[in-house]
Amino acid sequence: MTLGEFEYLMLTSVARLGEDAYGVAIRQEIEDATGHPCSLGALYTTLDRLEAKGFVKTRMGDPTPQRGGRPKRMVRITAKGARAASDFYNAVMRVSRGVTWATK
Amino acid sequence: MGDEVGRPPLERIAWCVVDLASRLLHPEEREAVRGDLAETGARSGQALREVLGLVVRRQAALWMDWRPWLALVGVVVPLGMLLSHVSRLWADGNALDASLYVRLWDWAYLGNPGWRRDLVSIIAATLTNYLALIGWSWTSGFVLGSLSRRTRWVTATLFCLVVLLGTVGSTTTARAYNAMVFSGPFHGVVLLRLVRTVCVLLPALWGMHWSATRSRLPLLQAIVGAVAIVILTAWAARGLEGSLVFGRVGRPVTMPESGPDGFIGTADDPRPLWPLSLVMLWPAAYIVGTSSWHRCRGSSNRRAGLA
Repeated sequence: MTLGEFEYLMLTSVARLGEDAYGVAIRQEIEDATGHPCSLGALYTTLDRLEAKGFVKTRMGDPTPQRGGRPKRMVRITAKGARAASDFYNAVMRVSRGVTWATK
Repeated sequence: MGDEVGRPPLERIAWCVVDLASRLLHPEEREAVRGDLAETGARSGQALREVLGLVVRRQAALWMDWRPWLALVGVVVPLGMLLSHVSRLWADGNALDASLYVRLWDWAYLGNPGWRRDLVSIIAATLTNYLALIGWSWTSGFVLGSLSRRTRWVTATLFCLVVLLGTVGSTTTARAYNAMVFSGPFHGVVLLRLVRTVCVLLPALWGMHWSATRSRLPLLQAIVGAVAIVILTAWAARGLEGSLVFGRVGRPVTMPESGPDGFIGTADDPRPLWPLSLVMLWPAAYIVGTSSWHRCRGSSNRRAGLA
């Protein structure tokens, strides 16, 4: 099963955040990396798609006061997800070999 | 998202809309999203955009399934239109009868057996018609709810709109030839709204709620209900068909024509259209069918368990 670009960004962010991966933190990671805003709609629908593919697992965390007593949706990458992200990364590296992008 | 004290009114309204919209999300997702918004200190406008964006994506994904479409094509459009026309036809007929009886009322008439018989037959027909309307609406709502469980807010809203607006641009013979009677607010507007609310919208929403909480009816109840609706439909069939004859858009006034019996002025005789009344029965048939199927599946599962 292949990954889309945004799915890859999300998997990478989840992997980087480790135990602290949840909605707001993942969104911040993606926005910092891309410089573009990331909507909650895109975030949660992609998260569901990744979970359906077996690339991540989610669970509801404990409620916290700074969230108005509401829980976080915690995310963890699976071995299958790590493999898919690695394959995607290797494909991007292979196809990019020898190419330089002229930017002003 | 919860602290509303000290917020300007517009802000409070926006947060109310956010709350309402977020109810369309799965409870766990709703909590997570509300928590995310609270943690980031989102303002009302941003929160509204975020929640609506997610709701639209979720709803769009649900419409990839065939069931909401079946609910739309099989219930919302055909039954919503029929119920809209039928409710108006009967409400208008009752408005006319009521205005006549009120205008000409004399206690001395009660001594006349023929007059009494007429009154009783009108009341019986009215009650039967409205019972049929309630039965059709309840079963329509039930099927709508069970076919489009997670999209039921959208399909329910569309159903209500079709019922309320389905007759715009058309009229009935009662209205066309009795402008004086229908110029008053009660006969012209209130009675129709009352009939549609009490006999169509509330039963349909009740049926929808029932299917959402109990998922299916026991087979015996489903069969008894379906038989009752078949009897009521057979009784009310003429009125149902009449609504289609006279409610056609673009033909606001139907000129009297001779009916199959050769009498002029029986344009209200809609017998050629009687099969349309069968459309009203399909939700009842669906309920019996699904109840039977679940019962059969339950029996075979039990047998498999014993084996």
